[in-house]
Amino acid sequence: MKSYFLSDQNLTAFVEGLMSKYPVIAPVAKRSRFVFDTLVDVSELRLDYDTTILPPKKVFFPAKQDLIHFDKDGFTSAIDPKEQVLLGAHPHDIKGIAMSDIFYSDRQYDNNYMANRKATIIIGCSVQNHYKHAFFGTMNANRPLTGHDLFMTKIEGGYAVDALSEKGEALIALGTFTDAGDAQVAAATEVNKKAEENCPEKLNGTAEEIREKVRSSFDSPVWEECAEKCFSCGSCNIVCCTCYCFDVQDEWNVDGASGTRFRLWDACLTTEFSEVTSPGGSENFREERAERYRHRFMRKAAYLNEQLGGPACTGCGRCSGACTADIANPATVINKILEQ
Amino acid sequence: MSCTCNDNNESIFMPQVAEILDAQMITSTEKHFKLKLQNGERFDYEPGQIVEAGIFGYGEVPLGLASSPTNGDSFELVVRVMGKVTKAMASLEKGDTMTIRGPLGNGFPVDEFKGQDVLIVAGGIGLCPVRSMIEYILHHRDDFGKFTLFFGAKTPSDLLFEEDLEAWRCDSCMQYMDTVDTPDSAWKGNVGVITTLFEHTKEITAETRVIICGPPIMYKFVISELDKMGVSRANIYVDLERRMKCGVGKCGHCQINDKYVCMDGPVFRYSDIETLEEAI
Repeated sequence: MKSYFLSDQNLTAFVEGLMSKYPVIAPVAKRSRFVFDTLVDVSELRLDYDTTILPPKKVFFPAKQDLIHFDKDGFTSAIDPKEQVLLGAHPHDIKGIAMSDIFYSDRQYDNNYMANRKATIIIGCSVQNHYKHAFFGTMNANRPLTGHDLFMTKIEGGYAVDALSEKGEALIALGTFTDAGDAQVAAATEVNKKAEENCPEKLNGTAEEIREKVRSSFDSPVWEECAEKCFSCGSCNIVCCTCYCFDVQDEWNVDGASGTRFRLWDACLTTEFSEVTSPGGSENFREERAERYRHRFMRKAAYLNEQLGGPACTGCGRCSGACTADIANPATVINKILEQ
Repeated sequence: MSCTCNDNNESIFMPQVAEILDAQMITSTEKHFKLKLQNGERFDYEPGQIVEAGIFGYGEVPLGLASSPTNGDSFELVVRVMGKVTKAMASLEKGDTMTIRGPLGNGFPVDEFKGQDVLIVAGGIGLCPVRSMIEYILHHRDDFGKFTLFFGAKTPSDLLFEEDLEAWRCDSCMQYMDTVDTPDSAWKGNVGVITTLFEHTKEITAETRVIICGPPIMYKFVISELDKMGVSRANIYVDLERRMKCGVGKCGHCQINDKYVCMDGPVFRYSDIETLEEAI
């Protein structure tokens, strides 16, 4: 790994250099919030963002993704990756992407996701402002940060930039970088450490404590208590950077002869997620909203642990902010369980 | 965990095309298809495995293979005509095509059944997926011990595969018993839930290998009967149904704890999942 320094004055030229070669997807303002969107003008870039409404998973796994195109003569795969740059992913979002990579490559290799993933260069950036619900400093904080190509940490006068892959190293030629000095490298380490320490919310347990306590709380009244206010809307799922469930549907084109099979983000909090049709009605394997609410926490804290080596949560806090009923905050719920 | 990694752009959603060799409504709501891959290749699978069967423009549905892989190049599926996809399938006839992805998941561990007495307990259309194992056993009859089959349906008109049932009833190589919840005037057989059949057999021992497939409510009652008879829970295999969209362990709909029914099942050894909440 090599460390560089990019001055504030040279940031614009570097990003324009990226934009001249690739579509660049980066945080931009949208009313009072931020979103990842394709940069049209470099002035839109907001590396000082706190969080985005949707996580960067949409770059590889769009909310609606075509799988197969069909017509009367046959069908073809819709996989068609385009080289692109994801700029400005926070460390916890990079961890979320690394988890999604495991979900989509483990056992059955899903190229509909992985082809997009492999065609994307990821440039991470340090957290300059905290989202009010963030708790990434105490959730998966020790999980190694992997899978990205460059990482930019805001320090005095510019950015300390770590090149973490050949692809990342190649991007250095697009801007005016100098070698980072020891003091700049040390300053960057301190900035990222402080970002974790200064998270507004905190979890009180280790990954192992969380797994054990949450798993053994299956029959706890806590699920019923929390889910009492749940609207089963699935917002917590949709904004989650590690939720990867989907529905598959077909639609016809207007010609009535051709069409598309696509997948859509789905949400295990919704009533019909585990429902099957049966004579005279339906059978729902998680009929009660408390069962669905519990399933989400079990999945994040326990079920996926073996596959990931830790909880399937990055502490981004998006679910806490998205929940109308204010019952989705993992820090609140897990801390409550840890205290029992 | 193994990974079927590849670097090309092969898609796990791309199906094969199968031609319909025969299509018959076998009850008022069930359609029975006999199929063959259009590319001429043999569709190879294990009894108990599933497929995602589909029609472009409508979608896919998960179905258990309803015939034994020992049946040659063709394979059979039974569709209950319920929703958008299955209604579209109901209009398919001989010579039409549907798409197939699979075989998916784990079937019955045939080798563990060999040399052992076998009991299969099937309720309703749960008979379709276990028919793959019934036919397999009958095709390799000498490889297995005593073979008992229980089949329960709501009414006599819900009995599937009537020709099979008649043949099994007369087959000295197996003990076949059926029951209906609600009889009609012509019904002369057993009336009652499927567990009422247990009192009519003496063939079940602690070592009997058991397969259960039926409506969700059925499992715990059958297992309770088997417990009373001393059948080891490690010898009980349950074939489970869940909502599935992808069939390849991604979409999340069929998840029970850390298991995916489409990948880790649909056949589970009961002792492996008895502590998993929401399984049975």
